[in-house]
Amino acid sequence: MTLAFVGGTHRTVPLPLREQLAFSAEQAAEALARFRDQFPGREGVLLSTCNRVELYAAGDNESAPPAREQLVLFLAECRGIDAGLLAPVLSGENDEAVVRHLFSVASGLDSMVLGEPQIVAQVKQAWAIAQDSRTTGPLTGEMFQAALRTAKRVATETALGRERLSIPSIAVSDFVSGVFERLDDKKVLLIGAGKMACETLRYLREAGARDITIVNRTLERAQMLAAELRARPATIDRLAAELAATDLVVSTTGATEPVITADFYRPVEEARGGRPLVILDLAIPRDFDPAIGARPDVWLYSIDDLGRTCEANRKSREKQLPAAVAIIEEETRRFMRDLHHRWSGPVIEQLRAGWSETGDAELERLFRRLPDLDDAARAEIRQSFQRYAAKMLHVPLASLREESRLGPPHGLLDALKRLFDLKE
Amino acid sequence: MLEFVSRISIICFVASYAVALACEASRLLFRSGVRGAVMVVFAAAGLVAHTAFLVWRAATEAAIPLSSPFDWYLLAAWMLAAGSLALTLATPRTPIGLFILPVVLALIGAATLSSRAPFPQSPATQVWGVIHGSFNLAASLAVAAGAIAAVMWLFQAGRLARKQAPMRGFRMPSLERLFETTRHAMTVAAWTAAAGFTSGIILNAVNKQRGLLETVPWTDPVVLRMAMLVSWLIIAAVIAGTVRRRPGGARTIVWLSLVSFAVLAGSIVWGLVGDTRHGVPPSTPAAGNEVAS
Repeated sequence: MTLAFVGGTHRTVPLPLREQLAFSAEQAAEALARFRDQFPGREGVLLSTCNRVELYAAGDNESAPPAREQLVLFLAECRGIDAGLLAPVLSGENDEAVVRHLFSVASGLDSMVLGEPQIVAQVKQAWAIAQDSRTTGPLTGEMFQAALRTAKRVATETALGRERLSIPSIAVSDFVSGVFERLDDKKVLLIGAGKMACETLRYLREAGARDITIVNRTLERAQMLAAELRARPATIDRLAAELAATDLVVSTTGATEPVITADFYRPVEEARGGRPLVILDLAIPRDFDPAIGARPDVWLYSIDDLGRTCEANRKSREKQLPAAVAIIEEETRRFMRDLHHRWSGPVIEQLRAGWSETGDAELERLFRRLPDLDDAARAEIRQSFQRYAAKMLHVPLASLREESRLGPPHGLLDALKRLFDLKE
Repeated sequence: MLEFVSRISIICFVASYAVALACEASRLLFRSGVRGAVMVVFAAAGLVAHTAFLVWRAATEAAIPLSSPFDWYLLAAWMLAAGSLALTLATPRTPIGLFILPVVLALIGAATLSSRAPFPQSPATQVWGVIHGSFNLAASLAVAAGAIAAVMWLFQAGRLARKQAPMRGFRMPSLERLFETTRHAMTVAAWTAAAGFTSGIILNAVNKQRGLLETVPWTDPVVLRMAMLVSWLIIAAVIAGTVRRRPGGARTIVWLSLVSFAVLAGSIVWGLVGDTRHGVPPSTPAAGNEVAS
């Protein structure tokens, strides 16, 4: 076993537990530093998005990756959760299944919205955090590179790459437009500034939104984003006033506790004068107390609320799945073949070098015995020796390649080492 | 051609509207590529037959629109059916007929139960009679339009509250548009109903002064129910203006609109079964089955 992963998604982990399990970028870096200390010599990448938390690990023959139970316990300890709660809802895979899963995830086949493009950026970010935390290595490196390559193929070679829908686009087209007739006369408030917020803003702008305010913990960040998104910046102390004046809120902070509680909202409700308020709470953990959704004139949607729409979307796109799955299978097979071939690489090199050295030595002896041979004859004889060596090696190397398709060719490698007296 | 038109009966356009309504309702069950076209064809055929029926009556029986309770209901149904078809053509994905056509069929049903005898007319009061009938018609249509928008608001709000995606080919208007329609319809209904009632009082006073037609006493059931309807519509409009900017105001206004429709329906039923001197010629005894207009 060289590859392992444990993880859970919106399909398996209930939202409250997923909120506890979610890692911010800083928390992911801390967790990977801990991984490095706890599992020295192993590679690890932590992918934490709104809908999933997955830990990928890799090892080699000398130090196998941690077992599933160890990885579950590791995640539980990192987030201060009872491992007994996590174990039943987290799944685990090994080797080829890990590769297939990562390729599916990166291609958006495992996403809430089938084929959504955001996941590619999230996979890249997870890889970058792992690189900075020095928990990556050749195995995870090749696997994640291959995953991104696969995602690109799926996006360009199948219809999943066209007219892609994401959670923000669904939120705007199915829910915001269900409440508001037009957006050009509405005030939009952005709390926090995650990637999803920016994408949501793009759809809102396309739908006509013009008056946009960004509230962020730090004014500098708000100003920077406001300049980028043609919006008005505001500080967090203006939150209540902005909330009272706005029509639509998009919230994607990385806060670990609700930013807007029911108590905070009560005076805001009075100040709003009965105007409808649409809240797209796209943060995990949620930024808005769910109790606010029960207040009159409030239409509150969290990530999970959008899940049903996404599921409908997924069903309508299922017809396009076979082509994408075929690409993932092809790429998985290729990756595994290359991975297995890595094991036989040193043996092949030794075998070739051994035959070459023996042949060269025999040729030198022959040329010393036949000093009258001209250069043309010597070249002809040398070529014959090389062809002979290549033909003699062809069958064992072809067998090795064939075996590599099915898995690590340990048996054949051992046999070759013993037959040709090859050293480790 | 004339013979063909003369054979058009209420059944013809009721059947067409019913098929169009069934097509709309089937949106809830399955998707179809030809349903929209079938629905429009039947709704248009119904409207053409409906129009021909009204024109034929006006031409052959001197029954101009609003000239009898029967014609009054049929004209109201025709206007709603025309509105439904126009909105269906403008927004094919919105199942507007599902909400309007039942009201159209109900009005046609009320027409079949009401009197076909024309309201008594005299040249001196004809103008006031037309004004009175037109305002009452406008008020009834406004109440119906407000209630239809209110039902659609509740339908859409229910979907949004349950976080459900819109069904394919079944896209409802936004809450904002439905609410504005309901609110404006309530205001229009209150003003036109008040104008209709006032013009009725003037019409009655002119009749009494000139002794042209029999006057309607204040205690007449038609006068009482119209007074009740007008009072309610004005109260509802005032409440709507008051609660509009309060939390939950939109939902309150939507329910007020539905109550207004219920009051109107009750008023119509009362008119269908109650005795009245409203619209009765001077020499005849009280005739039943006649309603406001």
